[in-house]
Amino acid sequence: MAKITKSSTAEYFAKNLQQVGFSSPTKAVLTTLKESVDNSLDACETAGILPELTIEVVRMDKGGSRNTDLVKVSVTDNGPGLEAEELPKVFGEYLASSKFGRGRCTRGQQGIGISAATTWAQLTNAKGAKVISKTKRMRKAVSGLVDVDIKTNKGVMKNKQVIDWDQPHGVHVEFQIDGRIQLNGEGGLLTYIEGTTLVNPHLTIHYKMLEDEWIHIERVSNEVPKVPAATLPHPHTMKLGEFITHGRLYGKVALSNFLRTGFSRVTDESIKEFVKNGLVKSLLGKAIGQLSESELKTVFQAIQETQLMAPSTKSVLKVGEESLSKSINRLGDVDFFSVVTRKPTICDYKPVVVEVAIARFLHRENEETSVRLLRFANRVPLQFDKSACAITRAIESVNWRAYGLNQPKNSLPLGPYVFAVSVVSPFIKFKNASKETVDASDELVEELRRALMQAGQKLSRHIRREHREADLERKIEHIAKFGPILVEGLARIVKASGDRKERARLGLSKILGRDSKEAENALAEAKDKLEVLQAKQAENLGMSKEVVEDGSVD
Amino acid sequence: MGQWTNIRELRKDIPKEAKILCDKMLKDLERSKRPMLEAIKCSLDNCIYNPRVGYLTPGDKRVKTELNVGSVQKLARVVFLLEILLRNLEIQAVNSKREIYYICKGEVKHNKDLRALDFDSQDESDAIIDFIGDMLEVYREELNCFANDRGGQTYSQQLVVTETLPDGSKAVVDLGTLGTTPFQPKNKPQSLKLKVKKKVDFCIVIESEGTANTLATNGFTRRNNCILLGAQGVPSNGVRGWTHLIQNELDVPIYFFGDLDAYTLQNIFRTLKAGSAASLIRNADFSAPEVRFLGLLPEDVEKYDLHCYSVSEKDASDARSLKKAKDALENDPFFLDKKNKKLADILRWLIKKKVRCEQQALFMVDPRDPLMPEKIILEKIKKGSFV
Repeated sequence: MAKITKSSTAEYFAKNLQQVGFSSPTKAVLTTLKESVDNSLDACETAGILPELTIEVVRMDKGGSRNTDLVKVSVTDNGPGLEAEELPKVFGEYLASSKFGRGRCTRGQQGIGISAATTWAQLTNAKGAKVISKTKRMRKAVSGLVDVDIKTNKGVMKNKQVIDWDQPHGVHVEFQIDGRIQLNGEGGLLTYIEGTTLVNPHLTIHYKMLEDEWIHIERVSNEVPKVPAATLPHPHTMKLGEFITHGRLYGKVALSNFLRTGFSRVTDESIKEFVKNGLVKSLLGKAIGQLSESELKTVFQAIQETQLMAPSTKSVLKVGEESLSKSINRLGDVDFFSVVTRKPTICDYKPVVVEVAIARFLHRENEETSVRLLRFANRVPLQFDKSACAITRAIESVNWRAYGLNQPKNSLPLGPYVFAVSVVSPFIKFKNASKETVDASDELVEELRRALMQAGQKLSRHIRREHREADLERKIEHIAKFGPILVEGLARIVKASGDRKERARLGLSKILGRDSKEAENALAEAKDKLEVLQAKQAENLGMSKEVVEDGSVD
Repeated sequence: MGQWTNIRELRKDIPKEAKILCDKMLKDLERSKRPMLEAIKCSLDNCIYNPRVGYLTPGDKRVKTELNVGSVQKLARVVFLLEILLRNLEIQAVNSKREIYYICKGEVKHNKDLRALDFDSQDESDAIIDFIGDMLEVYREELNCFANDRGGQTYSQQLVVTETLPDGSKAVVDLGTLGTTPFQPKNKPQSLKLKVKKKVDFCIVIESEGTANTLATNGFTRRNNCILLGAQGVPSNGVRGWTHLIQNELDVPIYFFGDLDAYTLQNIFRTLKAGSAASLIRNADFSAPEVRFLGLLPEDVEKYDLHCYSVSEKDASDARSLKKAKDALENDPFFLDKKNKKLADILRWLIKKKVRCEQQALFMVDPRDPLMPEKIILEKIKKGSFV
């Protein structure tokens, strides 16, 4: 019989890095950047700091592996910083996270991503993550090189030094990895930065890609989003095993108290209902630790049988229509946008909030190409495996022709638009560990559809006004074009004299002149309405043309 | 060019009427008055069905186009195309709609002042040609504009067709000498004269040209004194005119045999028997009110236990056809008339049962007997199993 061995978590991930976003050299660069930025933004938000990030991605040399470059990815934040002893845990230990299973809408959830980036750097370039950190408390910064000890899943810090750093607090992390740099397109670094900029209006970002100049994008909101605290678990979102484990934490507490205080949406009334549905009344007074597993199972079953109020939606976080609208203008010259933030709701027993921004850009793709889709889950751009994602499914299922856009059957609509769709939930169901695709459950797709349709309705009102304007312009043109041809044709058929022709021409110009005047008046009115609409949008949302031009990243 | 035989005895002088109309338009313009063109409204809500007349005729509704910024393009195009059609009539030139479309393109190419009139697609020029026909209340063929549609493939041992050519000479075709090759009249069957060598007992129009061909090949026309015609789906003007001619020239009962479904009843059989709403002004010469519906009938499905397909409301195309059938029962004067109650009953049966049965299902009755469909058809005629 073969010998059974036990592997560490780090060993598992080191062998399966493709599962967490390191499946190709291009994805490796993007994932490394993404994990670093996610960590920085989460740290800033938790500490109530307005984030300011400096990002640099440069090609340093030829990579160790075939067809790769040695790429340096560095991210510096102004977050609270990490204590020296925390650095090896954060950057070199899997599942060492302050966010794991907390039920909050943070970007990172498990504590896998950044350690995976360190592992990738170690595997491809034999060096882990170079870090500098300084907290408010520290007079000098600490720097060093963090490696993952793959056998034990422990972070190891080498070359630890105390250095001067001109920042009051923050973290700088730098990876040198084998990879390939792709700037544009679905998996592009710029696409990632653009998406991150859009859903983080409070972020100031400075970045440099390859040999390009430094780009600076200022924040448009001075409010740090407050990530709501997690709410108590809802009993219907649990499985039996989870329920029992949760119960064990309460030990000597009586079952009735445990049910009332350990869960959300459980009231005295609901406990009465549990009893009606099979919970043995005498168990309610017993300490939870004394209940056998079979007794706990009957309790669990009675709870599942009972109708409860849907879970609370207080734990979700939204970007907000106003911030999203301001943020859109940082992506380029927009001539129209519509933004919808849905009320938080429950999908598959989990609180979710869906937000949609549709913007038309002046210098983007033409009418024949698909709209550009930016997908977000917990404010992190999703850049791969678009077709299987709930967001894509929802967009494809909406009839955009009804809103004035061209759309091939069962596909994304066409035109120079950007569709940004964000799903925020403390429990997003991803299809894979690398968090690239949101699972398409019927309830979530329906919620997304509703948000998209609301945004579509706003869009169509605008498009209709434009069409009316174009239509009136066409009519005025028609008069000049077709009038003389009509008179000529009639005159030829009846062999009319020159005098008759002239009289008819005069008569026609009188008739059409009246029409033309009417059309011109209507056109002026339509133009005014359109301008009023655009001005109203700009005013309401505090944007101005200057912001659009200054903040352009194009 | 010589003179072709007319479709009907037309009491109108088309060039004269057209000139009067144009003169009135010009006069209106001279007086700064908006000229207006009027045409018969060709739609179901303007259809009248009188069983004594036998086909759909137009009601009083008219489509009026007054000159304004929105209609100036249409009016200019009407006058432009009218001029081309009048020239064709004058020089006796004949064209298809497609050719007219290219003639327009040629005119525009050679005269830059007309460039604004250019048609982007044939649909646009076709719509104007149809409007001119409806406006002057004349057939498109009377404007020397022919569609490229053909009459149905026809088999008979008895039928002799004589065509009068523009030079006055005659072409005589004895269908009995054509072997298995069908006779297919051109799109103006009215120029033909019919004669029979021996008494013909019936004429049968089969929806599927393939099945008509099979019946003929298996000797249907050799064993029966009849005319066998393949309609090829929705009957073209050629098939409609040809069936009308057979009905008028030969005093024979005519039967239609096709699928048992709403589409066949509404779109194929109704058009063959009473014309269509879109061609209200031409139904008089392009319908055969004496045609009977031989099948398939609901009773055939039960009697011969024929295979049916289910019609599901979940399927988009099936749902559309069910909705159309329901609409027809409520709004189509043909199905609303008492005389056609039995046909309406078939539609109701189809809506209720949600099935459809194909004409070829007769081949399943006795799969080893290729003559079984023929036997069933003859038995149905003999026993009066038709509507």
